[in-house]
Amino acid sequence: MISVRSLSMRLTSGGRAVDVLTDVSLEVPAGQFLAIAGPSGSGKSTLLGLIAGLDQPTGGRIEVAGVAVTDLDEDALARFRRDHVGYVFQSFHLIPTLTAQENVAVPLELAGQADAEARAGALLAEVGLADRAHHYPVQLSGGEQQRVAVARALARRPPLLLADEPTGNLDSATGKQIIDLLVGANRRLGSTLVLVTHDAALAAHADRVVTLRDGRIVSDE
Amino acid sequence: MSRFVLRLAWRESRGAWRHFGYFFACITLGVSALVGVGSFADSLERTVARSAKSLMGGDVEIRGTQPGDTAGSTPGSAGDRATVTRVRELVAMAQAGASLSQLVELKAVEPGYPLYGALVTDPDRPLDTMIGEGRALVHDSLLARLGLRVGDRFRVGRAELTVSGVIVKEPDRAIGVFSLGPRVLIAAADLDRTGLVRPGSRVRYRTLFRLPEDADATAFRDRLAASLPAAQRVRTYAQAQPGLRRFWDQLTMYLGLTGLVALMVGGIGVAVSVSAFMKEKLATIAIMKSLGAGWRPLLAAYLLQTALLGLGGSLAGALLGSLVQPLLAPILAQLLPIELQLSFSPRAVLAGVAMGVGVTLLSALWPLLQIRRVPPALILRHEVEPRLPGRRPWAAAAPIAGGLAALALWQAGSWKIGALFAGGLGGALLLLALGARGVIALARRVRWGAPAWKQGAANLHRPGSHAGPVLVSLGLAVMLVVSIALLERNLRSELVDSRPGRAPAFFFIDIQPDQAAPFAALVAGQGAEAPAALTPVVRSRLAAVNGAAPAPRGTARREDTWALTREYVLTWAAEPPGHNRLVAGRWWTAAEAAREPLISVEDEIAHELGVGLGDTLTFDIQGVPVTARITSLRHVDWRSLTSNFFVIFSPGALEGAPTTFIATVRARPEREGHLQSAVVAAFPNVTAIPVREVLERVTGVLDQIALAVRLMAAFSVGAGLIVMAGALAITRKQRLYQSVILKALGATRGFVSRVFAVEYALLGAAAGIAGGALAAALAWAVLRWAFDVPWQWAPGTLLAGVLAATGLALLVGVLGTRRLLGRRPLGVLRSE
Repeated sequence: MISVRSLSMRLTSGGRAVDVLTDVSLEVPAGQFLAIAGPSGSGKSTLLGLIAGLDQPTGGRIEVAGVAVTDLDEDALARFRRDHVGYVFQSFHLIPTLTAQENVAVPLELAGQADAEARAGALLAEVGLADRAHHYPVQLSGGEQQRVAVARALARRPPLLLADEPTGNLDSATGKQIIDLLVGANRRLGSTLVLVTHDAALAAHADRVVTLRDGRIVSDE
Repeated sequence: MSRFVLRLAWRESRGAWRHFGYFFACITLGVSALVGVGSFADSLERTVARSAKSLMGGDVEIRGTQPGDTAGSTPGSAGDRATVTRVRELVAMAQAGASLSQLVELKAVEPGYPLYGALVTDPDRPLDTMIGEGRALVHDSLLARLGLRVGDRFRVGRAELTVSGVIVKEPDRAIGVFSLGPRVLIAAADLDRTGLVRPGSRVRYRTLFRLPEDADATAFRDRLAASLPAAQRVRTYAQAQPGLRRFWDQLTMYLGLTGLVALMVGGIGVAVSVSAFMKEKLATIAIMKSLGAGWRPLLAAYLLQTALLGLGGSLAGALLGSLVQPLLAPILAQLLPIELQLSFSPRAVLAGVAMGVGVTLLSALWPLLQIRRVPPALILRHEVEPRLPGRRPWAAAAPIAGGLAALALWQAGSWKIGALFAGGLGGALLLLALGARGVIALARRVRWGAPAWKQGAANLHRPGSHAGPVLVSLGLAVMLVVSIALLERNLRSELVDSRPGRAPAFFFIDIQPDQAAPFAALVAGQGAEAPAALTPVVRSRLAAVNGAAPAPRGTARREDTWALTREYVLTWAAEPPGHNRLVAGRWWTAAEAAREPLISVEDEIAHELGVGLGDTLTFDIQGVPVTARITSLRHVDWRSLTSNFFVIFSPGALEGAPTTFIATVRARPEREGHLQSAVVAAFPNVTAIPVREVLERVTGVLDQIALAVRLMAAFSVGAGLIVMAGALAITRKQRLYQSVILKALGATRGFVSRVFAVEYALLGAAAGIAGGALAAALAWAVLRWAFDVPWQWAPGTLLAGVLAATGLALLVGVLGTRRLLGRRPLGVLRSE
């Protein structure tokens, strides 16, 4: 499903070049639940973002579902994400001007689906938020916002689910609900799930754990 | 002021320029408009004052329509030492050959003219060698019109004249653009040879005095005025060209108020910038308060900071405004009789800067007053949109509005106009604010189909959106520009009405009684569309009202005495004129008219004279008093292009009075030239006033004025767009965030740019519609009450306003968000 070869990423910060990722290679078969672990600043979120094409790497190559992500231009990347990727962020990143239901409907609308709002309502019901559909993000708790974000990520039933510390801003009980939703999708829909976390307990649920340190893979088990 | 305040103001100014760039630009633009107009007005006033003596032609002038014997009435010692010269002016027809004729302004001068200034001619020779013995100096446009060259001959009335040269500059010619035709300058003796000066002809007599250097012109004028009948107007050079001055005073006042709108729009920009700045400073203020700072020093510090920024913006505006003056001058200079000398005006700069700082402080005060309500406990909370406790400082709204109204009064320099302006602007702002609320509510309600439309509309009602102030400021600019366009359009269509048969081709004046019948016959044979309508006219002065000498009521302002001292052109009629409406009394029967002289009076002048039905008016007709009783009042539509009269006599009452006839003649445009030449050839004393040409000249004046007004209005549009760009800059972070989330979810750059385009197009369209609606109301009111011109819808103009507002808003939106689109999502999302 995912093929990462000799990936490197160098960022300039405060006039100094920082190697965030150095020569990372990784193969992820379809349907796998992979956890990427490591301390903060180890490059795990950057790796996830690059897989989704949210930025261009300095070097190396990424293929997802046979598509060479690193060769696509901005708009092709956007369409690729729309059709293949569901992304869940640590800080939710809902669009503040839209209600919960409208937020979930966005990927469906972008794909031109006619019954987007109705489908979004059903998805919200699946994450237990049927009664919060018409609330704005500021009116929702953190856990509720993240459930909306998960519903949004699952809306197009993408073959690839990427989750970047999805429970990092939540208490443990709420965090568990989110993980259950993501893992449920992985099991039920057969979606490949890549989860970034520094929580060892959470990583233990995964089929496979890759650990990064200073931008390099230090273990793969 | 405490050192804390000064220090805080200074510290908070560091790095604040980023926020206040748009604020600065708003004030700069508004002040530059005001300083531009103010400097121009001052330059004009100075130029007119400097050339006042040559504009008047002397130190003191007697002006009248009767050849009063002023030489014998020059009193006092100054009079003995005064140099006197007389000038007679009238309109007449110049003819060359058999087929060419032209309306001219004839001026006959005596030796000694001009008393001040210089008459510049080509060739440049002494005046006494250029005129007299049948020689005439002419304006070069006459040469072109009649196909003449220097040395050629032409006729005026019965006199044969030879062109001796061209007038390059005439010191005492009033407003060139309002003249009826080119100038012909001749000697006094030659005027008598034309045979044009007869009883009843329309001649302006001017007697000019040049006093010794040490003489008091005002005292001299007062002595003169006391010894002359009221009909002879006496003025000193300081009162030269009162009409010209009034015209320019009014024009520059309206231009100044147009400029003030730009500054007020800028004030909205200031309020938006300061609000955004306050939002970011809430934490700072809360920390300061928790450290023990009271709200007063905090408010003082931020006010001081704002004032300094306003001062900076105003000074930059003053500099820019001094550059606007040379931009405005060439447009308006064409309307000027004199060469305008542009000068730097410290008064205009000071006034502009004071205005800029005033508007800045008043606009900033409202958002700054939030400082009072910031609780120190705010530092303990982390809220997306902190809600401040307590009520908005509504009590402060009244003094702020009052202060802005006072600034408007000051700029207008007139209670009435200032109050109308402030009231109109306040009303427009209120309506626009309500309209903006409506639009925002509508954007929330409407179920938008396409996803890009849904997102774009959502941006209008999102928390922290600046749609409200943007709509108000842009709407105000649209209102100004569109109302000017509507006024211009309506006035123009009133002037250049294409309805066939409405305007006559000519007014013919000074037709002698024995010429009336042959004139009518000639015109009928020369292709006039209808028989010439000949109306008898008798020139007179008002001698008594109800038997008593007319006396001004209350103040003796010129406007009040005008009805008493003006020349009355009388006529008589058996039947009421078809285009007048009787509003009181009834028209006379033949039997009633035979018994005693009766008159019908125009209703407004009757009101000014304080007379009604049954009262009597006595007219002095060349020394003969005629008293008549008022039996009806008429309402006259002065816009109708026919001859209209304040006073109409019953038939027979004016028998024996020196009478001339005026005629209106309708003819197809292609016959006009022919008709005019035929009439002038047959009746050299008859003057033809070509209506189309006169209307075209008035339209030309309107064009120049409109251009100047549009230039000033452009400043408001500029300010409106800056407010919009400023709002865009303030929301840049939110926009960037929104665009990268959308991209992360699979939106292309095209989609994201469509979202922003929809938002800005909606803003522009809403401002265009609201501003257009207000513009229509404003233009309607101005036409109805100021011009008394019927309103015509101009859907094209209104539509153009909406489209232009939408297009400009779209342009600003696209330019402002273009750079956001290229940002890659990952970095932005991780830093949030």
